[in-house]
Amino acid sequence: MQPPIDRREFLKLAGLLSLSVSAPRFLPGTAAAGQDPGRQNVLVIVFDALSAYNLSLYGYPRETTPNLARLAGRAIVYHNHFAGGNFTTPGTASLLTGTLPWTHRAFRYNARVIEPREQDNLFHAFEDYYRVTYSHNPLVNTLLKQFNRDLDLYLPRERLFLANDGPIQNLFRNDEDIATTSWVRAVKRNEVGYSYSLFLTHLYEKYQDLKIEKYKPLFPRGLPNIRGDNYFTLEQAVDWIGSQVGDFPQPFIGYFHFLPPHFPYKTHQEFFERFARDKYKPVEKPEDIFNQKKSPATLLKWRSWYDEFILYIDREFGRLYEMLEETGILENTWVVFTSDHGELFERGISGHTTPVLHQPVVRVPLLILEPGRRNRTDIATPTSAIDVLPTLLHITGQSVPDWAEGTVLPPFTTDRQDASRSLYALQAVSNEQLSPLAQASTMLVKGSHKLVYYSGYDKLGDTGERIELYDLEADPEELTNLYPSQKAIGSELLDELQAKLEEVNRPYRST
Amino acid sequence: MIESPTVQNKTWYTRQGLWSLFLICALPIHLWTLILAVKDFSWVSERTNAWDAIGLLSYGMVFAFVESLAVTLAAVLLGFLISRQWEQGRRIALLSTLVLIAALWAMAGQLYFLWGISIPGTILGFLAGTGHPVRILYAVGLALVTPTVLIPAYLVLESDRVFQAVQEFSGRLALLAGLYLLIDAVCLVILVARNL
Repeated sequence: MQPPIDRREFLKLAGLLSLSVSAPRFLPGTAAAGQDPGRQNVLVIVFDALSAYNLSLYGYPRETTPNLARLAGRAIVYHNHFAGGNFTTPGTASLLTGTLPWTHRAFRYNARVIEPREQDNLFHAFEDYYRVTYSHNPLVNTLLKQFNRDLDLYLPRERLFLANDGPIQNLFRNDEDIATTSWVRAVKRNEVGYSYSLFLTHLYEKYQDLKIEKYKPLFPRGLPNIRGDNYFTLEQAVDWIGSQVGDFPQPFIGYFHFLPPHFPYKTHQEFFERFARDKYKPVEKPEDIFNQKKSPATLLKWRSWYDEFILYIDREFGRLYEMLEETGILENTWVVFTSDHGELFERGISGHTTPVLHQPVVRVPLLILEPGRRNRTDIATPTSAIDVLPTLLHITGQSVPDWAEGTVLPPFTTDRQDASRSLYALQAVSNEQLSPLAQASTMLVKGSHKLVYYSGYDKLGDTGERIELYDLEADPEELTNLYPSQKAIGSELLDELQAKLEEVNRPYRST
Repeated sequence: MIESPTVQNKTWYTRQGLWSLFLICALPIHLWTLILAVKDFSWVSERTNAWDAIGLLSYGMVFAFVESLAVTLAAVLLGFLISRQWEQGRRIALLSTLVLIAALWAMAGQLYFLWGISIPGTILGFLAGTGHPVRILYAVGLALVTPTVLIPAYLVLESDRVFQAVQEFSGRLALLAGLYLLIDAVCLVILVARNL
């Protein structure tokens, strides 16, 4: 397998960076120069659990993103973009708040941002805009509902489901997640084969089946769904945006967060088994101590299903872009394509529910499609999800608030990017929200080096910690842990990371 | 106590009879919900917190109450098909017995998955070899279920001893069901608190 980006390409892109910084967006090739940036709209499109590693746009051998590659011809493409965490809650919260998980503290499953920081969010920052949001993912909706006072339109997720639990969600609006979970456990046997209900299950299932019957042939692995029979199609969501966006009061900012290609990987029939019999062989990697005992054959199967699911989102994003283009809205609208975290199929691990922070689970795509841009710019500098918020404010002519921890992305600033800038990601799902980080995985990326520090896990034995150091430029697959052999750089980065952890833990230590 | 046929046969159901039937319907439904919700408790509390786990159980119990009402309604409607040549007490006892048997079979059906039981390979091989495995499975199911419904039904209608035993058993179960309804009331309060 080819690495997502090889050394030569890395250096070439790094060279382009300096050009793109010194030849900013005001030069020919961008049509936005003559427009009033204060009136431009913003559309943020997030596909959940979309790893940059699996996109052909970034060098993956399977052609998973033909449409994205086409659209990249007029976009700014970020090659080393990192999520704030390795699952939805911390990843999305970092994107929406422009702060790292240890600042917003939404690192537990389905957590909210801490109260003092509730107003430090993308939608509050765009207070003069019409703000509209939608997400299939209930974890995202927990955050969106927290920011509800800064939203003009929060579209409930069941609105774009084929068959849904709408009455339950409407009846228990303030406690939707637990009410829905209980309802699912009560009346839906799903894969487990049993439910709380003794008598109503079969009737309910028949009723729901009737509503989705006509869509079933289009999805040979079953209809895309979340939590039981909340079935949906991306076509439905894309059509909704395409038909509504022209009616939004302008300027608007839209945040749309779709579940695919998140598990379960249920692609459209057009892409079914596209990669089932190709000759692709992933790079062999050693079993991780946190492995889930998944065999190579299982991982290969899931990877193929995931890659086929990416083809579906690629098609639908391409279709959305064309629909928007036809309406003319793109002449005045920035489109951001990204993800909240990645997914991995290696080292005995499948998915993203894991303590590890290897590249496939934290490196995500970022493309910014600028109004009127006709050429492509590639950015190799490492960037972070927390940079998106300040960048969007900057490109729409607004000031960046003090609470934002990220920086304006190249090429939108004439400031030279700080080569020694440190980027972080955090996994701390088991920690109490307001306690110091006791059990956590923390990533520090600086230049081409990446240090990951694991602490507090039982599996780590007596030492209670593990340290990994990789040179992403020379070893993008993270095959060789350099920490034992390159103590100097390793210790320097570890000291910096531990000092940072001490700093962020300090407010939460009891006196 | 056996009711006087001269009074009771004039109406399909008395208030007392309906209440008794409702309690019997509520019992297995609540019991099953409680067992599975408690089983889910740690799964939820580990991922969110204990309050959410309590919430999950509370919703489950309230949904069980609604299901109990629905099943009672179905049983009442079924009762209209039973001839009034039998007194109301006997008809209620018959309906209670049918509901309990149906609940036991529903539980058995779910236990198959809950305990991860699998049909032995030799039986599966035999079924596959017949050419009509689904038909045979249905036939076996029918052969098992039919006598468990017909025999108790016949005995409740025709045997005073069985009828009295069912009535006594129902009376005791109804007490337990009353306890579950009390839990429902607490769960309802929890639901209101969570949705405020």
